Amino acid sequence: MIFRGHRTLVLCSILLLLVPLTYGDATEIRILHVNDFHGFAEPYQPFGSNDYLGGISFLAHRANQLRREKPTLFLAAGDMIQGNNWANLSQGESVIELMNLIGFDAMVVGNHEFDFGQEALKRRISEASFPVLGANVKGMEGLKPYVIKELGGIKVAVIGVVTEDTPVSTSPKNVMGLEFLSPFSVTEKYIRELRDRVNLIVVLSHIGFSVDRNLAEDVKGIDVIVGGHSHTRVAKPVRIGGTLIAQAWEHGKALGVLDLTLQDGKLVEWDGYLEDIRPKQGGEDPKVQSLVEGHSRKINSVMDVTIGETGVELDGENVRRKETNLGDFIADILREVSGADAAIINGGGIRASLKQGEIKIKDIYTILPFDNYVVSIKLTGEQIRQALEHGLSGIEEWEGRFPQVSGLTVTYSRSAPRGSRIQSILIRGKPIDLNREYQVATNDFMAAGGDGYRVFGEAVLSSKDFEIVGGMMKGEKLAYSDSGRWIRDVVIGSIREKKKISPMVEGRIGEVN
Amino acid sequence: MKVYVDDVPVDLPAGMTVKHALIRSGLLKEIEASKKVYDEWGNEMGLDGALSEGMKVYVK
Repeated sequence: MIFRGHRTLVLCSILLLLVPLTYGDATEIRILHVNDFHGFAEPYQPFGSNDYLGGISFLAHRANQLRREKPTLFLAAGDMIQGNNWANLSQGESVIELMNLIGFDAMVVGNHEFDFGQEALKRRISEASFPVLGANVKGMEGLKPYVIKELGGIKVAVIGVVTEDTPVSTSPKNVMGLEFLSPFSVTEKYIRELRDRVNLIVVLSHIGFSVDRNLAEDVKGIDVIVGGHSHTRVAKPVRIGGTLIAQAWEHGKALGVLDLTLQDGKLVEWDGYLEDIRPKQGGEDPKVQSLVEGHSRKINSVMDVTIGETGVELDGENVRRKETNLGDFIADILREVSGADAAIINGGGIRASLKQGEIKIKDIYTILPFDNYVVSIKLTGEQIRQALEHGLSGIEEWEGRFPQVSGLTVTYSRSAPRGSRIQSILIRGKPIDLNREYQVATNDFMAAGGDGYRVFGEAVLSSKDFEIVGGMMKGEKLAYSDSGRWIRDVVIGSIREKKKISPMVEGRIGEVN
Repeated sequence: MKVYVDDVPVDLPAGMTVKHALIRSGLLKEIEASKKVYDEWGNEMGLDGALSEGMKVYVK
């Protein structure tokens, strides 16, 4: 009898968990959210941290526990499928497989979802067992503007919007023919369409926290914004006007939890917080963990794949004090891929040499370990001269700023004072015109002024705002930017095409007495 | 794009991130020394976080 009583109690408890928590006319629902995952499936040590954070199997385990408590939507606010090797080596297929297994309800495209090109994105959308949203993207097959979900009798519309800046943060070819409309006007349009059909309007946004705040101020009728793009750790949702704004940091290091109570179909109460995710023994979802490990094993085997052969030793040892064949080779690739007149890269970004023989993927990862991408900026001849003077001013100390170049032939005197060492510069074989503008490829680190290359930033300062027409960049000083492809991956692609390489030192940087 | 790092203006190409603003300001090493980046409302931001025109970030 006692045993039977216990069983009834347990059954009642389970039923209570399964039925929406309704008190009178009040209904409780829950939104779980992540953003800017970027393929960080395994726990990792963030820059400057001694602790391991994240781990998607731990996040999934916690999400499962929270989902059992009340009717729940699990949303992803963009930039999920691109970022680290775990995602990139399958062009994001591994992440979609993961998201299907975890049971996401909807995702908005982030700007980095376009990084593998439109065909790859179409495939990812077709593989997803959840709707992929992008209400303000015109021309992309498979994206839906919104989805309506019903939770415990509550109808929730989820509208997805992505940043208008998408065309400037991926290669232009990836967004060719697409148009990125204003998230503000598009959200207004869909609110008008949906307001009378649903109880709750959620905007799943990939436009950044500060723009989310503007959206909440300017567009009335949004109940909740679940955001991404700025990688902001919004510890507790903020309320602006009648809109709640939440965001859950980045890389699966936190799980966003937003509990909403609706009475007579209207939002009357809320509570939100972030759950920090850390690896913990026994705290993982075994199925998700198994999937993560499976893909990690594939990545390890890919690292051993031979992509080509070098007929000469590639010199990464002397890149901080003189021109080397490896510096030339990499600079050439940057110039070619961006269509620039010249390329200047910092020798310090090249970290290893490679003996004559086979080239494996892991060799290129060792040579180029940093997550840098190709940028091309329009510089005057005078600005190029200043950049090269800066690069040649730290030879004695073997500073990392020593320039490895392409499309340029430079002579300099080491005995001349720093800042006045250059004697001649040819660009594409002709004397440089100090007043003319040239397109110069580099990496994003230097374009931001890294290693003291301030001239790149000053060039940007002198430029007007971007104009984006039909998804293409027009005007401005930034001629090319492909933040979705690391330079090492560009180099791997080039070696795969060439199969055998034998770069020689060509006398691009010559010392004269 | 103009953003502010510790109230000092920094000019960057559109599409660049918090990390680039810190490189431009010479403050990336501060992060290695366990400092963090916050927006003007006191929220921590990741280094790959997108910036927008006029945004203010602080290294603490």
